[in-house]
Amino acid sequence: MKEYFARVWQARYFWTHLALSDLRSRWRGSFFGVLWTVIQPLGMTLLLALVFSQIFHIPIRNYAPYILSGMIIWDYVTTSAVNGSQAFIQADAYIKQCQHPLAIYTLRTALGNLIALALASVALAGWVLIALPNTFGWTWLAALLIYPILLLLAWPLATLLAYIATRYRDLPHALGLVFQAMWFVSPVYFTEETFRAGKLRALVDYNPIYHLLEIVRAPLLHGRWPTATNYAYCLGSIAVFSLLAWLAGSRAEKKVIFYL
Amino acid sequence: MTDHRIVLRDVDLHYAAVAFKERSLKALASGLLRAPGMQPRIADVHALKRISLEIGSGERVGLLGHNGAGKSTLLKVLAGLYPISGGQRLVRGKVRALFDLSLGFEPDATGRQNILYRGLLLGLSPAFMRRIEAEVVEFADLGEFIDYPIKTYSAGMQVRLAFAISTAVGGDVLLLDEVIGAGDASFMDKAKLRIQELVARSEILVLASHDMAALHNLCSRGVVLHHGRIEFDGPVEEAFNAYRRLNHLPAL
Repeated sequence: MKEYFARVWQARYFWTHLALSDLRSRWRGSFFGVLWTVIQPLGMTLLLALVFSQIFHIPIRNYAPYILSGMIIWDYVTTSAVNGSQAFIQADAYIKQCQHPLAIYTLRTALGNLIALALASVALAGWVLIALPNTFGWTWLAALLIYPILLLLAWPLATLLAYIATRYRDLPHALGLVFQAMWFVSPVYFTEETFRAGKLRALVDYNPIYHLLEIVRAPLLHGRWPTATNYAYCLGSIAVFSLLAWLAGSRAEKKVIFYL
Repeated sequence: MTDHRIVLRDVDLHYAAVAFKERSLKALASGLLRAPGMQPRIADVHALKRISLEIGSGERVGLLGHNGAGKSTLLKVLAGLYPISGGQRLVRGKVRALFDLSLGFEPDATGRQNILYRGLLLGLSPAFMRRIEAEVVEFADLGEFIDYPIKTYSAGMQVRLAFAISTAVGGDVLLLDEVIGAGDASFMDKAKLRIQELVARSEILVLASHDMAALHNLCSRGVVLHHGRIEFDGPVEEAFNAYRRLNHLPAL
């Protein structure tokens, strides 16, 4: 295992290059370029916040950053999982030539998306500073932990899905459905209170997605430290996905080349 | 004394048959519903059959054989890309494989940037690539086009650049799969010289080719593969004859 990660580290120039080149090609040829990453969720948030704050009677000042934080983080998880599941298929030319550990191709997806997320979260921080300046304080430092947590979550998740998707090519369609369903039963856009009021407490308290979002929402929106339970759920999910990805890899890594 | 070696002992390789079938969750579900006897059977392809081969330091080996005899498969086993299904594989030394040259170009980036990217793919450091960049640029000889995006290149120009980068770094064990033959006549001569230099610097060469002249020039030992088996292993001239005999061609 140590040796495997040593090989991932040896190939670091290659996967950082791949991640950056993904970003370059994403931003090239568009008028706003990098700015799109920031503008797009902002525009969506504005629209959703206007509508939902009317429906749920919540002041838009608090609700907009709630939606924005949910949107960019949930977006990171789904795009990393769905695009990551295609990572081996997309990298087939490399896999057929070079003996790099396969996990670097999912790391590429997870890392590239993380950089895009970091940019988008600038918009979130800016918005909160203007709309809810009283939450600013030391607790904001805790929100930074979202980056390593997300990376450690998305990397094994994408790796696991990539092994399955290489074998079963229609997986992305199924994934789209699963993530849609998970979004629907989680407090991503809908507020925590909506769920609690509807006697759906379990969908909040035992939902890893809720705890993941709290890492950012507790400090930024309420000026609170995230709770130990929040971290425990995140670390638990990381452990589960890592274990599954490792099992899939140790069984299938060598055979992937036949399925490309 | 260097000890670069290739040892294969009773190596078998199967291509998994499931890889050729319809592979989807839908197929999995419908397969579960169908009675076990109803499913069409596709057998695994037995691509290499009990291959035993020992190549020592300083040897130049040519692989001959009909299309589908297993030449490329054997090279990929040596490169460590394919998992073997039986036997033992030992390759000691840094392996450099030249299989598909035009891989890993970014069409929107310039030729010069692509030199760096290709190097990173091969596991080299950015610092090392900066050192050899000038030499690669000179060899590719693309003039001012080296600073143009790759997508403006003609097919021949792309091949020249790819060849220049891929052959800039050598290794102890060099594996070549029909890579000789790129670009126009003047570039061909340069390319041949370059390959010869690369071969001279490497400890072990394994070349798969149908080009008898190239095999004759570069190799001393010939291995003939026939339907996944080694049918002949010896001096390259005798290997030509064995190859022609096995494939029912008139002797030269």
